[in-house]
Amino acid sequence: MLALGLALLLASAPGAGPPSPDPCLPTDSRGEPFPTCFDPGDGWVVGTGATVRDGVGALTLHSSVRIRTGRTSRSKGTPWFTNHRLLGVDLWDGERRGWGFTAYDGLLRRHLEEGFILIPTARPVRIPFPFDVTVALRAANLERREWEGPGWTLETGRMGLLVDPLRSETGRAWLGFGPVASHTLRRAGDTTEHALSPFTSLMFDLGLESEDGLWALRASGLAGWTLGLEGGTDFRARADASLERVFLAVADQPVALRLSGGYVVGDAGLSRRDEWTLGAGLVVRAFSARW
Amino acid sequence: MLVSAVTLGCALLLGQVEGGPPAEVTPVEVAPAEVAPPIIQPPAVPLPFQDSERPALCLELPPTPNVPSGQWRAQCSHEQRRCLITPRRELDVDGQETERFLERVRPCVPEEAAPVPNEELRTYRLEPSIADAPPGWYRDERGRVMQFNFDLHRRVWLGGAWSPLWPGDEAREDRVRLDFGIALELAARKRLHRLHFLETELSLGEPSIDFSLLRYDFSVERDEPLFRITTFFGEPRRYDVSINLGVWLETLRVEDLERGEARGGFLTWGTLHATLDLWHSRDLVSYVRVRAGPSAERDYENGISTLVPGAALEGNLTLDRDGFHHLRFGMEAEKVLLSRAVEGRPLRPERLRLSAGYELILLAINDQPLSLVADARGVWRNDIAFLPERWEWSASAGLRFSLWAPARRSAPIAEKARD
Repeated sequence: MLALGLALLLASAPGAGPPSPDPCLPTDSRGEPFPTCFDPGDGWVVGTGATVRDGVGALTLHSSVRIRTGRTSRSKGTPWFTNHRLLGVDLWDGERRGWGFTAYDGLLRRHLEEGFILIPTARPVRIPFPFDVTVALRAANLERREWEGPGWTLETGRMGLLVDPLRSETGRAWLGFGPVASHTLRRAGDTTEHALSPFTSLMFDLGLESEDGLWALRASGLAGWTLGLEGGTDFRARADASLERVFLAVADQPVALRLSGGYVVGDAGLSRRDEWTLGAGLVVRAFSARW
Repeated sequence: MLVSAVTLGCALLLGQVEGGPPAEVTPVEVAPAEVAPPIIQPPAVPLPFQDSERPALCLELPPTPNVPSGQWRAQCSHEQRRCLITPRRELDVDGQETERFLERVRPCVPEEAAPVPNEELRTYRLEPSIADAPPGWYRDERGRVMQFNFDLHRRVWLGGAWSPLWPGDEAREDRVRLDFGIALELAARKRLHRLHFLETELSLGEPSIDFSLLRYDFSVERDEPLFRITTFFGEPRRYDVSINLGVWLETLRVEDLERGEARGGFLTWGTLHATLDLWHSRDLVSYVRVRAGPSAERDYENGISTLVPGAALEGNLTLDRDGFHHLRFGMEAEKVLLSRAVEGRPLRPERLRLSAGYELILLAINDQPLSLVADARGVWRNDIAFLPERWEWSASAGLRFSLWAPARRSAPIAEKARD
């Protein structure tokens, strides 16, 4: 209600003043600038909404911290674009209650205007390699599903070595795909299962954002085999996508509508079920305005 | 090389006469009509490099079909009235100027700050060249820069290898090994600090994991010899004997392994060894040394805390200037003390480990090296209950991808590397 009230107040505010040289910072009738561009990779994200999981509805709550940086490597002299997501928490309530926590999830992409493979002959030979190199890292991804009984699933770590054919010169677009290694623990009752994927899985990660940050599309997927320490292999696959559109800002903090969906094959929960999800909700991306 | 040089030469030659109208580039008041257009000499083979130690001047020449911006970098000898020039942007495969400015060059000195104005420089002998590159980096005829020298002692690596195991007389066990680690070297005056974080080796098949949180050691070159020996056969000669002692520390190492029904698990809280460099290279990077000292260890399979004195002879040699070839070897012995009796193993178990390995950089992807790793290891141990006393041999061959890996501190500039 508070957000709605503030939105109405914003809507009834005086019209825009004289044009500003920065299109992301127009000025109001009093000459005060206000931001209209946002960075979806920065800020504290808090969201709520509804999710349907295998036909069963639930209310959800999400929080995470996003940090996006772009810096020039001192050793290589080329830019690194990084997206970090820290301390991600997901809660869902309803008939199927549960929660998830991710300590760190990041993409680190090194951009070259003209990628290449160097063959170290006496006079170095340079073969075109039209990809950026990306490292995808995730650490401590814990999930607890109360309706499945006692137990939890913990992906201790995941590392992917990806190549990116988009080679965007900004941090607003990327498409990485490549092999990934991971280790997952499943604790059910007194039994603990280890599942290792020693680069026997492939993943992709896509991000596309409009220049003003009002639109943000994110998709990721993973498919491959895991090896159990006790023997045996299992196939698993998962894909998810989300679309965010900022439709208002309250006190310069953008509020976005978020639509999401996902599908999992042989990897959901303790019993490695197949599962689909659909969700819709609102997210506030605090401290993400580009001033 | 020859083709590229000729391409560049043709581009430069084409550009010197057929450029745009001089009036568009040179104001009439400073470029009288009688001044001849600048003449760019045919390119030498191979093209000379500009000197990374000397400043480059920003030089504006008339636009040409291949260098339409007319923007050049020049290193000039005013006594000889001669300049080595190169376009300020990279060239494409046809020798045509692109939008990309040269990477990893220092900014050129603008005309306002130059000792000689552009107008005067245009009357010099202008010779095509290749812009300089930082030490460890090479620039080709098109101005593109690439790293040719890598420091694998400063990197984050991730690798995988096929690593079969021969346990005693039993049949070969096929395994896959994954390894990860972060290596860092900090050089101070006559001292080199080495740090290794999160070194992990995970073997799948006959499972085992070897992990250490942090390892630190240093090599030092002492100024003062510990003692000297003088010989009096013929002319007296003096021989200085230096003892380069150092420290080797490791904390939180986990070794967990399974061999059939036998299982071992050891957590080393900390290890403190004194090191003695038998030899090290002038830059202290390569070494052969011995080390010895105690460890505090927890055998968590049997619930015993023990003291483990150990000694090792080991070496790590970088065999070439550019850091492409690395040889590592080691021999280590340990004895477990203060243990209580455990059924199926002696009261004071022992371990002996041998290893030798070679790492070779095969190629670099976007300046990140990809290397081939091959090694052989042997372990004899009787610290795991009911594990037969035997030698266990393993070999591995695989690849490592390294991030970071800057140029070595001793990296030469490209021109010297070519020589």
